[in-house]
Amino acid sequence: MLLAAEGLTFASHADPGPHYVLERVSLAIEAGEIVDVRGPSGSGKTTLLRALARLLPDVEGTLTLGGRVAEEYAPAEWRSRVTLLPQTAAMRPGTVRDNLLLPWQLKVRSAAHAPPDGALEQALLEVGLGEIALGRDAARLSVGQAARVALLRAVLTAPDVLLLDEPDANLDDESTAQVAAMTEAFASQGGAVMRVRHQRGDVRASRTLRLVGGHLTEVAS
Amino acid sequence: MNELAGGVIEIGWVQLAISTGFVVVVGILSIRLSLGLESDLAVAAVRTFLQLIALGLALRWVFGIDSPWLVLAILVLMMAAAAQTIVKRAPDAPRGILGSSMITMLLTGFTVTFAVTGLVIQVEPWYRAQYVIPIAGMVLGNSMNGIALALERTFADLDARAGEVLALTALGATPWEAAGDSVRVAIRAGLIPTINAMAAAGIVFIPGMMTGQVLAGADPLAASYYQVVVMLMVAAATALGSVLAVMLSYRKRFTADGVYIEKGYRRAG
Repeated sequence: MLLAAEGLTFASHADPGPHYVLERVSLAIEAGEIVDVRGPSGSGKTTLLRALARLLPDVEGTLTLGGRVAEEYAPAEWRSRVTLLPQTAAMRPGTVRDNLLLPWQLKVRSAAHAPPDGALEQALLEVGLGEIALGRDAARLSVGQAARVALLRAVLTAPDVLLLDEPDANLDDESTAQVAAMTEAFASQGGAVMRVRHQRGDVRASRTLRLVGGHLTEVAS
Repeated sequence: MNELAGGVIEIGWVQLAISTGFVVVVGILSIRLSLGLESDLAVAAVRTFLQLIALGLALRWVFGIDSPWLVLAILVLMMAAAAQTIVKRAPDAPRGILGSSMITMLLTGFTVTFAVTGLVIQVEPWYRAQYVIPIAGMVLGNSMNGIALALERTFADLDARAGEVLALTALGATPWEAAGDSVRVAIRAGLIPTINAMAAAGIVFIPGMMTGQVLAGADPLAASYYQVVVMLMVAAATALGSVLAVMLSYRKRFTADGVYIEKGYRRAG
C-alpha cells in the first residue's frame, strides 16, 4: 500500500454550524493504480484530494505514505511526493520552459537537477505538444495545451502519487485522450493516480470510488 | 497687518473667519447642486478647527514641560494611532496584523525619526519636542499611507492569485515561494506614491513642510535643505516600513503547514 488515509474528517464552516464534507473517510491506493472518484457536484471530491495532498486547513485523520505517517514528512516534501494538480491549470508569467522548470526553482528540490531542454522537448513531443517551442509565451497556450503542460510539469517531478482534479474538464477529445495516455504512462511506471471525474470512468481506471454525503464507497466494476 | 518680528503674519479670528467663508460657499454649492455633502463638510470643517487648535495648544504645553518621558509617550500614542489606521484601511487583511503594524511603526518610526533628529539635525537635547514631534508626525503619517497600501495590496493580490498559490503550494512551494510575487507587487505599490512625490517635489508642487517654513519666515534655501532631509527620510521610512509590515503579515494568511487559507475556508468573525 502506497498512500493510505484513515478517518479523514473535514467540516466546512461556510454556513452557520459545521457541515461535514468528509466524515471518517478511509482509503488506500497501491502503486500503479488509477483510482477514479465520482460523486455529485459539491460532494467534496476536490476537498478529498486537497486533504490527501495536505492542502486543506483543519483536517482530522491519519495519512501515511509508504508506511510512514504524514507528520514524519515536512509539508512541502509530502506535497512533492503526493502532488495535486488543481482543476484550473495555473501558468506563471513566462515561457513554457519557465513553467516546466518551475518545480526545480523551489527549495524542496534544491538538491535535484532540473531536466535539460532536450528532455523537456522529448516530453512535450510524447504528449502531443511537439509543435510547442519551449520559448513560447505560456500565456499564449490554449486551455487544452495549458492543461497538458501543467500535467507534464507535475509528472516530470516524478511524485509517488498524482492527484488529478478533473484533468479532462473542458478539453476536446484529442486533448482528453492525450491526458488519459499521460496518466496511464505515469501509472505504468509505478506511480499511483487518483482522479476526480465527472465524465464516465474509462477503461484505464483500476477502481472507482463514490463520494456521497461525506462517505466514500467502492463502486462494483 | 499683524506682522511679527520674525516676518510672520499672524492669523487671527478675522483671517479664520474669511477662510471659513470659502467653505460656506462650497456648502451652498453643495445644497444647490444636491451633492449631499454639506453636513459632512460642516463636520469636517469643525473638526479641522478643533483638532488643529487642540494640537497647537497641546504642543505649546508639551514644549513648555520639556520632559523626555512625555515626548516618548506621545510618540508611542502617535504610532498606536497609525497602526490602528493601517488595520482599518486594509479590511481584507487577516486578523492579527495590528501587532505587526505596531511593531513596524515602532521600529521604523523611532529609527528614522531619531536618525534625523540625532544624526542629521543634531538636536540638543535629543528629545526636544519642537523637532522630534513634528518630524515623527511626518515620518509616521507618510509611511502609514504607504504601509496601508502595501498591506491592502498584498492580501488583495493573494486572493486574486489564489489558484496560482494553490498550484505552487501543491508543487511543494513554501509560503514565501508561493506569495513572493504578491509581496513584491504590493511593496512596489506602497512605494510608488513616495517615489513620485520625490520626483515631482519642487517642480509640480512645493512640499508641505517647506511651504510652512517659508510662510513662517524661514530662508527658502534653508527650508529646502530641511525638505530634502524630510523627503529622503519619509521615502526610507515608507520603504522599510512596507517591507517589514508585509514580511511580518503575509504568513498569517497561511496555516502552520503552509497552506494558503482561501476565502471559502476562512471562519466568519
